[in-house]
Amino acid sequence: MTIMQPVGVLSFVALSAVLFALGLYGALSRRSTVMVLMSLELMANAININLVALSRFSAPAEMTGQFFAVFSMVVSAAEIGLGLALVLALYRQRKTVEIDAMQELKG
Amino acid sequence: MGYVIAIPLLPALAFGVLAPLSNRARNAAIWVPVAAVCGSLLLSLAAFARVWPGGHEGEAVYRASAVFATLGSVNLHAGVLLDPISAVMLVVVTLVGAAVQVYSVGYMHRDERIGWYFAVLSLFTAAMLALVLSDNFLQLYMAWEVMGLCSYLLIGFWHEQEAPRKASLKAFLTTRVGDVGFVLGLAVMYATAGSFDFAVVLHGFTWVPATATAVSLLFLFGAIGKSAQVPLHVWLPDAMAGPTPASALIHAATMVAAGVFLVARALPIFQASGVALTVTMIVGVTTAIVGGLLAAVQHDIKKVLAYSTISQLGYMFFALGAGGIVAGIFHLMTHAFFKSLLFLGAGVIIHAAHTQDMREMGGLAKKMPVTTATFTIGSLALAGIFPFSGFWSKDEILTVLWTEGHYVVFALALAAAFVTAFYVARLWFRVFTGPEQTPELAEAHAEMLVPMGVLAAITAVIGFGSPYFARFLGHTGAWPEAGIALTSTAVAGLGLALGWCAYGRRTKVINTRPLKERAGFVYDALAMKLYFDLTYDYFIVKQYARLADALWAFDHTVIDGAVNGAGAIWKAGADVGALFDTYVIDGAVNGTATLVRAAGAKVRRIQVGRIQAYQGLMVGALVLLMLWFVVKGA
Amino acid sequence: MLLSAIVFLPLIGAIVAALVPKDRAGIARWLATVVTAVDVVLVIFVVLRFDVGAGMQFVERAVWVPQLGISYHLGVDGISITMLLLSALLSLIAVVASWKMDTKPTTYFAMLLLLEVGMNGVFLALDFVLFYVFWELVLVPMYFLIGTWGGPRKEYASIKFFLYTLFGSVFMLVGIIALYLQTGTFDMTAMIGLGLPATFQWWVFAAFFLGFAVKVPIVPLHTWLPDAHVEAPTAASVLLAGILLKMGTYGFIRIALPILPHAAKQWAPFITALAAISIVYGAALAFAQTDLKKLVAYSSVSHMGFVMLGIASGTVEGLNGALAVMFSHGVVTGMLFLIVGMVYDRTHTRMIEDVSGLSSQVPVAGGLLAFASFASLGLPGLSGFVGEFLTLLGAWKSTVPAGWVVLAAVGVLLAAAYTLWMVQRVVLGTPSHAVADIPDLSVREIAILVPLVALTLTVGLYWNSLLRFTDPAVARIVALLAGA
Repeated sequence: MTIMQPVGVLSFVALSAVLFALGLYGALSRRSTVMVLMSLELMANAININLVALSRFSAPAEMTGQFFAVFSMVVSAAEIGLGLALVLALYRQRKTVEIDAMQELKG
Repeated sequence: MGYVIAIPLLPALAFGVLAPLSNRARNAAIWVPVAAVCGSLLLSLAAFARVWPGGHEGEAVYRASAVFATLGSVNLHAGVLLDPISAVMLVVVTLVGAAVQVYSVGYMHRDERIGWYFAVLSLFTAAMLALVLSDNFLQLYMAWEVMGLCSYLLIGFWHEQEAPRKASLKAFLTTRVGDVGFVLGLAVMYATAGSFDFAVVLHGFTWVPATATAVSLLFLFGAIGKSAQVPLHVWLPDAMAGPTPASALIHAATMVAAGVFLVARALPIFQASGVALTVTMIVGVTTAIVGGLLAAVQHDIKKVLAYSTISQLGYMFFALGAGGIVAGIFHLMTHAFFKSLLFLGAGVIIHAAHTQDMREMGGLAKKMPVTTATFTIGSLALAGIFPFSGFWSKDEILTVLWTEGHYVVFALALAAAFVTAFYVARLWFRVFTGPEQTPELAEAHAEMLVPMGVLAAITAVIGFGSPYFARFLGHTGAWPEAGIALTSTAVAGLGLALGWCAYGRRTKVINTRPLKERAGFVYDALAMKLYFDLTYDYFIVKQYARLADALWAFDHTVIDGAVNGAGAIWKAGADVGALFDTYVIDGAVNGTATLVRAAGAKVRRIQVGRIQAYQGLMVGALVLLMLWFVVKGA
Repeated sequence: MLLSAIVFLPLIGAIVAALVPKDRAGIARWLATVVTAVDVVLVIFVVLRFDVGAGMQFVERAVWVPQLGISYHLGVDGISITMLLLSALLSLIAVVASWKMDTKPTTYFAMLLLLEVGMNGVFLALDFVLFYVFWELVLVPMYFLIGTWGGPRKEYASIKFFLYTLFGSVFMLVGIIALYLQTGTFDMTAMIGLGLPATFQWWVFAAFFLGFAVKVPIVPLHTWLPDAHVEAPTAASVLLAGILLKMGTYGFIRIALPILPHAAKQWAPFITALAAISIVYGAALAFAQTDLKKLVAYSSVSHMGFVMLGIASGTVEGLNGALAVMFSHGVVTGMLFLIVGMVYDRTHTRMIEDVSGLSSQVPVAGGLLAFASFASLGLPGLSGFVGEFLTLLGAWKSTVPAGWVVLAAVGVLLAAAYTLWMVQRVVLGTPSHAVADIPDLSVREIAILVPLVALTLTVGLYWNSLLRFTDPAVARIVALLAGA
């Protein structure tokens, strides 16, 4: 076992897990909506890494994971755009982006 | 010989130039049609000279055709065929056409739509020329219909008044009844012979009698409509509502003779049938007598001439029915000249007397010498008096009937000749003799008198060409037989004498009431036009209008009602469905909803409204799920 | 690419027109004019480059859904080219005729353009799915054109139109699916000459018959037509009569006859009977009308009967005649609706009793109305005669019962009756109160009628100007019918 091993699938999955955890933490704990959105993005990209890596190491010829990753990036780009637009709209209305300020859905 | 094509094209071109112009520009350009028809006349004379000394019918001196429609392997042609018959017709049509147009310059000069009048007259001339030059029945039919349009437009020329409007519609529809037959005849011909060309269907095809009968009777039906034969004659008297020179050209000389021309052209098919010839003869002789009788009771000078035209066309029909193509065509020609002459004369008389009613006329002879002279020539020709043209052509027809052994028809033809002479005398004495009833009678202008003079001159001398005419058409010609000639002259003389007795003896205004009373119901029947118009009006026109209204009611109540009913039933079904939906299905749904609401009340406590709380919940649940999978997987 | 351009150029135009701000109607109007004019130019280019002897031309084919045998397949032949020309021309005329439209003009022009997409598409599609899509696409803009810009009973008329034709096209869809299940393809050209089983053909023909017959329309499935015509705005009436009705008969000629030749022969006597009844029934009803537009609408029923008569005959003459009536009726009825619309714009009435003396007060309008009427009643020398005459010839020549052909020929007489009875009351006579002070046609109005007049004369005088396109294509269909 040398230090300079080829990068295996595990490394990617580990990286992905770390990123996901970071994102999750951010999403659960930050009070700024913008930061929550950024954390969500981080989680999404963690999953993209997973997709690409698993695809690369399981069935490299089919490129399914890569396609899905690209697809997911496009969707999340759209989603983040929408999210930010909403945040902006909310800000205009309430002059705040504090996530705790939004509790209209309380049952 | 290519100039033959230009004969119909010149007037067509004149129409093409005039039609799109504004009314004012058209009125200024009436010299164009006159020049065109004169050009056609010159070319026609040249063509006639080229055909002289004649030959058999269908023996083309000149032929040209072009394909205008291709249907699979069949080509339909538009073409010209210059043979003796068409050469004769060319001269007749262009000569009368030119005479009428020149006359019209004077007659119509005060009309504000004179340009349109001349345009239509040109289109008519073009169509008639295309018809006589046609080398196939389809083109003949097409030109025939275009003439019908022109006739319609000219009858209804003064459409602001009701009578011309009605008459034009009646004329078009009545002739179209015949045209339905003509079209079906064309369809039968096409289905049988696969062509419309004279060369094929007349000379190169052996007709089975049954099909020949079908085709020829259907054609005859078309001809009956166009040539105003009984029972489709009712439109022609009404058509007199149009301008008089138009009546002279269309409703006396040319268009109405197109039916005769059609039968003459299709005569080989009629002969192959045999039956059709008999039918033609019956139609012709009936018409000759009915037309003559009706002419004898009219008071309107134009209507007398109209019924006279009907009667004379009947003469042509039974001539053709007896197989006398020469006699038929010769009478067509002489009649075209003398009848258009009479109409043009009538136009002058109407202008001078300011009325069409003969009872309000009288004594015109003194003030209008030229008109009187020409009109007298025309009248004598119509009555069949030597040496005027009508004598010769009638004599030929009678000779054909006699030699072919149609003695009954011969007798009836003589009777018709007698009636003809009678109404001619009636007309002549009433108009030209007796006291003057109109102040300020004056002779017409030169442009109206010159055409009449030309036609009168032709009428006076053309009869002597009778034997040459027969040879021109490829038959043996002969001078009249003394027996028949004397008989017909005697009969005509008797008719004239009777007319003189009734209308010529007294010089005061004539009172015909005693005559009417003595004739009783016969006179009534004749005055009611033998009830033809009433019958058609009541049993066909009115019933069709009623049927149309009934069908309309049927359409929007029953058929549309069924559609709307189907819609209504569907909607009713939907309503029932909606009830079921509300109480049964929705009931179930609502029951479920109640349940859920109760459960929701319990669960709502989780809903704190903070996004991050929800997220935490989700992640927690996810972790639990994953743990479960791991445990289970292991 | 040419055909795709012809079909989809108006779609781009429609989208852009819909996006034009509501208060800038002029832009939408000019856009629609330019787009439809360019389409006309493209179609004329196709016509000029068209090889009359060859079959399908300018073919475009691309795989669309290979698993189901669906392809994007366009092509033009002698049957569709005349209809394509008519569709493009009438679309342009419809746009120009609507110049003064001031109710939601941007949406209106977008709808007209969308309609053209559907119409052009129907005549060019050679794949059933594509055909069906275009067929249904036509309904939507027409529904809105009638329902939004129509007359007093527009809701009723538009819904009736929509549901009725949808009802028909459902049966057509069933037929299409049946054909697919039998042949495994949606390609029309591939289905020709397969010798499908006779019983199968009969049933599929029945399905298509219902679908097309509603559209034609054949009596007794015609009652949507008068309502739709009367309520529709002028331009929609023109396109409805000029193109939409032809889609039904086009369907018969393009689909039912070549793919189901055996059934076509079996159905011929029945169709002939219905056709003859349509001719006479439509003519009688036209005679009874008091509303000008309704009169023209019922005359359409009568004229489309002649088309069906020709189609049922299955002969060279009859089918050429059917195509000639289709073309001529599009031109002539378009003219009639345009003039009636122009008169309505001035007098605000369509009642025959209120309008009279047009030729005295407005000689151009009156003269053109009379001209169109004579073309409509089948005067030789004008286009209406060509088709009527040929369909009668073909029907007589074929094996269908002669009695129906005689009845159809009587229809020629009845056509003259209702048309001239109308002319007598409306065009002739002295001007009525409503007509007393109206102005004659404007240059724009004359300009849109002139091409139609020219076409009427050209086709009427030189039949081959039309038949040279249709005849070779018809010959192929007749050969298929003879082989069945």
